[in-house]
Amino acid sequence: MNLFVYGVVNSITLVLIALGFTLVYGVSRLPNFAHGALYILTGFVTWTFLHKLGINYTAAVFLALIFTGLVGAAIYQLLLVRVRGMPDSEIMVSFAIGVAIMESLRWKGFVGSSFVLSPFIEGTVNLWNVPIDLQRIFIVVEGLVVVALLWLFTHQTKIGLALRAIAQDEHAAMMLGIDSDLMAVLALALGSSLAGVAAIAILPLSNITVDAGYNVLIYAIAVCIVGGLGSWVGVLIAAFVLGFGQILTAAYIAPHYQMVVTLFVIILTLIVRPSGFMGRQKEIEERV
Amino acid sequence: MKKGRILVGIVFLFFTMVLTVTPCMAAKEKVDPIVLGVALPMGHLGGWGCEKGMRLAVEEINAKGGVNVAGVRRPFKLEVLDTRDLEPGVPISEGLLAVEKLILDKRVDFLVGGPERSEGALAALDLISKFKKVHIQSGGCLSPAYTKKIAENYDKYKYCFRITGDVMELMGDMIKTLEIIRTQQKLDRVFIMVQDVAHARAAGDIVKSGLEKKGWSIVGHEKWPTGASDFSTGLFKAKEAKAQILFSWFDMPESSVMVKQWYDMKLPMLPIGYIDPSLDPNFWKASKGNCAYLVGSCYPKAGAIGTAALPWSGKFVTSYEKKYGIMPEGQWAATGYMGPYVLADAIERAKTVDSEAVIAALEKIDMAGVWGRTKFDPRSHQLISSDDPEQGAVACWAQWIDGKKLAVFPPKIASQQLTLPPWMK
Repeated sequence: MNLFVYGVVNSITLVLIALGFTLVYGVSRLPNFAHGALYILTGFVTWTFLHKLGINYTAAVFLALIFTGLVGAAIYQLLLVRVRGMPDSEIMVSFAIGVAIMESLRWKGFVGSSFVLSPFIEGTVNLWNVPIDLQRIFIVVEGLVVVALLWLFTHQTKIGLALRAIAQDEHAAMMLGIDSDLMAVLALALGSSLAGVAAIAILPLSNITVDAGYNVLIYAIAVCIVGGLGSWVGVLIAAFVLGFGQILTAAYIAPHYQMVVTLFVIILTLIVRPSGFMGRQKEIEERV
Repeated sequence: MKKGRILVGIVFLFFTMVLTVTPCMAAKEKVDPIVLGVALPMGHLGGWGCEKGMRLAVEEINAKGGVNVAGVRRPFKLEVLDTRDLEPGVPISEGLLAVEKLILDKRVDFLVGGPERSEGALAALDLISKFKKVHIQSGGCLSPAYTKKIAENYDKYKYCFRITGDVMELMGDMIKTLEIIRTQQKLDRVFIMVQDVAHARAAGDIVKSGLEKKGWSIVGHEKWPTGASDFSTGLFKAKEAKAQILFSWFDMPESSVMVKQWYDMKLPMLPIGYIDPSLDPNFWKASKGNCAYLVGSCYPKAGAIGTAALPWSGKFVTSYEKKYGIMPEGQWAATGYMGPYVLADAIERAKTVDSEAVIAALEKIDMAGVWGRTKFDPRSHQLISSDDPEQGAVACWAQWIDGKKLAVFPPKIASQQLTLPPWMK
């Protein structure tokens, strides 16, 4: 039972990590390789608001999410817009921005074990006789709420429908009066804030470290490749495959093979189904 | 007329005195400092802790007038460069460039500090020896290859000395410590959880084979990838295997999650070993006390925790706290502090800053340190270790209790006995 409980937590953690990345790619076809950097930036900004400016936790979290959203919008408006449509350049520029953010944080002294965010809920409970801390349960609840809200946003609001329209057919959407660049800015801002939402839930489990940004980027890419770039349903399926894959690997093979299994699943996906579990659009492109 | 001559005489005498004394005063003001080059990873707790220790020592030595070099008191001056050698992805060449810059550009007289990563320190041996600069390795590098290289090619590498420790000695001390726990607490079932990096894997293997030879039950041995943030599967396995000791060796910050999960689950086993975040004085506050009973602060050389058995360690900790407002940080604050003192002692006895004479003096050093007695092996240039501070430099394991870190091993320097978590009783 402990494998099931911690497998679900691990899977939802991966969902949260990958949602922002897939949203941006799904809408703007921009692979945002600064995703990991925005994740830890949110953590450090929240910590700074909390401990240096004395703002209360809830306000610090909201301000940090707004800040990360604005940084994401600025990244598109100032830099990515200039290389849009050039896939190699998009990857290089976004990755360079990510490295610049993370290494600047390291350079400015954000290193050590002192950077910690408090869990939203303290304590431990037994779920089916499995001890688990309440913050991990919070991650599961938050993950489910975020997925539900995102579904409502993209299916029930005008902006959400516009984002989906751009994702489905950019030219047709533009003919209907939807501003492609504006939608890309919104997607980047929303995707960055989603990276922040994941950070706010996950980082209280550990210290905030710059290196976590690199790991988060790897996991986000892994989930998106396996699930199908740009597919939200694919992200959910892939996160559960990888999440349970990691936990079962740690339990029955050896913990240090967790990353090997993740990379093996990516390679297998690329060989058997290059577009991922649910990457339908890419599949059609590949057929053409 | 006579009065006039006397006046002229006085004026002449005055000017003669002024002209005689002024150059002497100027010469006194012109005493050159002894420049110590410091190459350390400044973005890491182990780097800045070591540098802070050194800065404190230099201040103390200079406050007493500096180093007496054949009757001339010369102050120490630090030149610090960042090697970045503990940052992921940073090549070793960065650290070597820092060492080279200190020697050629900053024109330092001696070197103290790192590089801390063993690969960097080993590579720096050739560079340092080429320029014939005496180097006290006072941060990081526990590889046995370091002193082996010096001993095997003494004439080439005799310029390098190490005061940080040797991992083989440290693991020997670890096994002795576990044996004491077995005798005192009747615990003999060990689950090994280490990070999947070379030094931690080696630590796990050495402890496993060492304990097996002594009749312990090794009920599990796992390696965890760097960056792992959920250790539940390993901890559940340890619980199912009825482990009593959780031997851990991690240098990654995420290992704090393992400590927290162990505490939250109230697993009936004692975590002991090396858990890097536990070396941070803020760890108690950062973990909200979830590190209570953890014996994860491993110091290859004692001194960073004040104990009555090591009087200088208490003074060092007090001075460090007074200057920086925090307990000594990381593993190398005490060794960093001792580096300038060891060098000052050797220079004063050598009565010169000439490398050959200072090497000879260092080989004969016999002084007290924050860790106990200070003596070098004359061939390998390794600080001689012992369980007894009267005989050599001792290692130290500390336990977090009520927000404080207390030395619990080895017994000769312990402030108090090991305390088991209440849920183990």
